[in-house]
Amino acid sequence: MDTKAKRALIVDDNVALARVTQFALDKAGFETETAFNGRLALKAALETQFDIVITDQQMPEMTGIELCQALRSRPEYSDCPIILLTAKGLELELPRLRKELGIDATFAKPFSPSAIVKTCEELLVATAQEPECV
Amino acid sequence: MFRSSSNLGFPRKIVAYYLLFCLIAVSWLAMGMLMTAHKVLDSRATSACLARLGKTAAALELEYLRNGPNDFQKILQSSQWTNGLQNCSVVSLEGTVLASTDVNVVGQSAIDHKGQQLRWGNVSGIQYQEDQGQTISEYRVPLIAHEDHFGSLRISVQQLNSWSTLAEIARVAPAVILVPLGLIVAGGVLLARLTSPLAQVDSQLRHIALQRPTVDLILQPLPAKDAISIGWNRLVNALNQDHSSGTADALSSRLAEAVAAREQNGMQDILHNFPDGIAVTDGEGRITFANRAIEALLGSETTDEELAGIEFEGQLINKSSSEALRDSVFEGAAVLCPVVTEIERLGDGGGQRTLRVARLPMENENQSGHVWSVRDITQQKLTEKVRDQFIDAATHELRTPLSNIKAYAETLVTCEEIEVEQQKKFCNIINSEVTRLARFVDDLLCISSMETGSIGIQRQRTISSRLFEEVLAKVQPLMKQKSIDFDVQLPEKMEDIQVDKDKIVAVLVNLLGNAAKYTPAKGRVSLRVNIDEEQLQFAVVDTGVGISAEEITKVFDKFFRSDDPRVQEEVGTGLGLSLAREVIRMHGGEITVESQIDQGTTFMATIPI
Repeated sequence: MDTKAKRALIVDDNVALARVTQFALDKAGFETETAFNGRLALKAALETQFDIVITDQQMPEMTGIELCQALRSRPEYSDCPIILLTAKGLELELPRLRKELGIDATFAKPFSPSAIVKTCEELLVATAQEPECV
Repeated sequence: MFRSSSNLGFPRKIVAYYLLFCLIAVSWLAMGMLMTAHKVLDSRATSACLARLGKTAAALELEYLRNGPNDFQKILQSSQWTNGLQNCSVVSLEGTVLASTDVNVVGQSAIDHKGQQLRWGNVSGIQYQEDQGQTISEYRVPLIAHEDHFGSLRISVQQLNSWSTLAEIARVAPAVILVPLGLIVAGGVLLARLTSPLAQVDSQLRHIALQRPTVDLILQPLPAKDAISIGWNRLVNALNQDHSSGTADALSSRLAEAVAAREQNGMQDILHNFPDGIAVTDGEGRITFANRAIEALLGSETTDEELAGIEFEGQLINKSSSEALRDSVFEGAAVLCPVVTEIERLGDGGGQRTLRVARLPMENENQSGHVWSVRDITQQKLTEKVRDQFIDAATHELRTPLSNIKAYAETLVTCEEIEVEQQKKFCNIINSEVTRLARFVDDLLCISSMETGSIGIQRQRTISSRLFEEVLAKVQPLMKQKSIDFDVQLPEKMEDIQVDKDKIVAVLVNLLGNAAKYTPAKGRVSLRVNIDEEQLQFAVVDTGVGISAEEITKVFDKFFRSDDPRVQEEVGTGLGLSLAREVIRMHGGEITVESQIDQGTTFMATIPI
């Protein structure tokens, strides 16, 4: 699958983690950009269209949840796959969040960057197939 | 004794004793009378005899002077006729009977009897037993005329014996004996009549005494004769009326009520002093009982009496902030089902209280209703919240470095095409994350150990300027990152101080780090330090989000984190201030905080050096 054209936005206030995720996605052939809080991420997302958004949940200024809500309210991001990363013990609420916000996948920290890459690829394949089905 | 005398009633005994004593007394009197009569009769016979003796002697002496002794027999015979003289003889000095009432002995020698000598004035005598066994007293008077003693006059009298006395008395005996006997018998009859009601009362009481205690009392009225019968009958009537009107039943039920009330009072005391609120409501939900905890819960001004009849459920949740809650709590629950729920309620002080309310149905024959148990679990909830905050913070603090370590380590392992420089960089990151993790665990252990007293501080001579250089080196990057105006005022003369340097540095870094964290970008943070001979004083002043009055008392509590969203979005464990206070306390100093919400916060510490 040709993923070179796919653009991923990685949002995490934990800079080190954002960087290593970015590193893994870069290695997998994604075109990536990082943001360190929700507000900056939203700004970046509105400037450029991303194919997939990977965001941490707990961040200053704008949380991952708020970012998801903001993105989903935009038509250009209504179908965009979103992956939520969380360091909090919110595992029990994840199914609800996934349903309400249309979050496609969640990862509890600590997570494996390669698993993120794999999920990103799978999600992009699924989204790419959807229009054909319609 | 009791058994043998039980045949004879008390009143009959009285009569019997009365008769016995009367008979003894009468017998005693009769004997006394017999003896007295005997003496009197005896003495009377003697006196009469002596009187005749004297009279006859005088007559004989006169006759002797006139005519000589020849007509003595005539005189004696005439006296015999006129005076009833008997057994009388005139005896000459020679012992010959000159004259006698018994003509057969005249001219014969007089018999001198032997016996007890008697003497009455000039009268001498002798008492002797006759052949037939009768006692005879013979009295002798000398016959003297002109000093011529010419003989003696002898008279014999038969002494009265007991039988002759009895024979004498027998003539008056019917009057003497029958009258007292008649009176005694009459007295006995009267006494028996008077005590006959007593006899009946006595027999009834005796009967009751022998009955078992459980058997009902049955008392018979007496024929009304006197005060005792009338009194007894009134008593029996009163008792019977009590029986018939059920007074005994009423009494026993009152007694049972009193016992139950006493037990109930004991239970009520226990319920009143129970720390949980306990209330009982009737079928309509109105309060019939509420303990002190409920009174305190529903408002300090409400008393037990005022609560009675009030609709409880409304009272409990009418001040609740949530309308939806009010509808959902008990409305849906079936009346007969136990319900346990937690409700939020505005307390007296205006703060939200969390109550756990249990409602249990209570069914008995008299009434249906509910028992309510209300427990204030606000404190418990707070503790749970603090614990949750800690777990939340700890999870984040642990997971963030762990995530980084795992991500970098895995990337190092899985990616084959990584440059050496990149690998080194990744390893450094892993190293620093491990350090961060270790520090968090250290902090946690440190505060725990300091609280339990297992570790202390180690004061050492410290160059104060070096200490502050170390602090500033650590916090200045944080200030720069948020473009905060960081103002440091150190004293001109920096004395050496005796403190646990590492821990004081940690405290200052923590306070300044907090100031940087909770002050918006381009705000202002000041550190003012003063050192004199005795103490080190410093103040950390920021223009940050501030702390509300409600929360300011808790900021030094372990794991406490403010509810303010501006604080929540920052990462923190809630351990920093707790640790700072512990370190300063162990130095013998103190730390205080002043804050104005949205204006800023000032921490001031004084540490003896």
